[in-house]
Amino acid sequence: MVYIKGELDLAAAEQFQRAVEPLANDATKLLVIHLDELTYIDSTGIGMLVALLKTRKKQGARFAIENVPPKVQRLFDLTGVSYFFSEANDTTERIGGQS
Amino acid sequence: MKEHETVVQLSIPADAQFIDIARLTLYGLAAKMGFSYEEIEDMKVAVSEACNNAVLHAYNGRRGMIHLRFEMSADALAIVIKDEGKGFDYKQVAKQAAPLSAKPIEDVKIGGLGLFLMEALMDDVSVTTADGTEVRLTKFRHRGEGEHAHECISPSSVQEQA
Repeated sequence: MVYIKGELDLAAAEQFQRAVEPLANDATKLLVIHLDELTYIDSTGIGMLVALLKTRKKQGARFAIENVPPKVQRLFDLTGVSYFFSEANDTTERIGGQS
Repeated sequence: MKEHETVVQLSIPADAQFIDIARLTLYGLAAKMGFSYEEIEDMKVAVSEACNNAVLHAYNGRRGMIHLRFEMSADALAIVIKDEGKGFDYKQVAKQAAPLSAKPIEDVKIGGLGLFLMEALMDDVSVTTADGTEVRLTKFRHRGEGEHAHECISPSSVQEQA
């Protein structure tokens, strides 16, 4: 479980990458990103989440993005990434969310 | 500068750590002008995307500045984001500026999403690339129906005003 708090933008990119990379590479565990307290995201942040999803899918590893605040969801919808995220969440639910 | 326009200017280092300062300034000014929460959120993302491009592409890792100019008028807020670096090839990026379609995730590329967001979230976007890059983002004030007085002025009332 990863809880993201604050702003996921260009300034936070490196820190996010450092924190999440080891978890992303562990295909044996379910990775859930919680966005409840995400106050801001831009194309950099969206790009990082998509990259994460790609990594997980390549490994056949389970991945989900949860509790997306409405203003963040709006940007996900606008950019078309919600389709990929909900597909990942559905797959994870189908094969069981317990790790 | 147009008549009845108030201008606020801000210069920040072309460094990702200062883009939030541009957002904070925008928030303060847009709130002062009466823009809604959603409109301000949209503008925050658009301005940040323009700043991101300046940070990533303008100066090739050298130090440089981003100059922001907020032009506040009765009907709109225009934000001009300018750098003095090498011109960013917006035309090339504009070709990719689209939402991600439902193709396999492996084929998804994020490049161009920033420009797409600027265009989707603002009412008008224009880019000039001479002596660096200048991005001009405009958001018009969408007022309630009762406030569209200028659209329903009768000829007689115009005469009275003249």
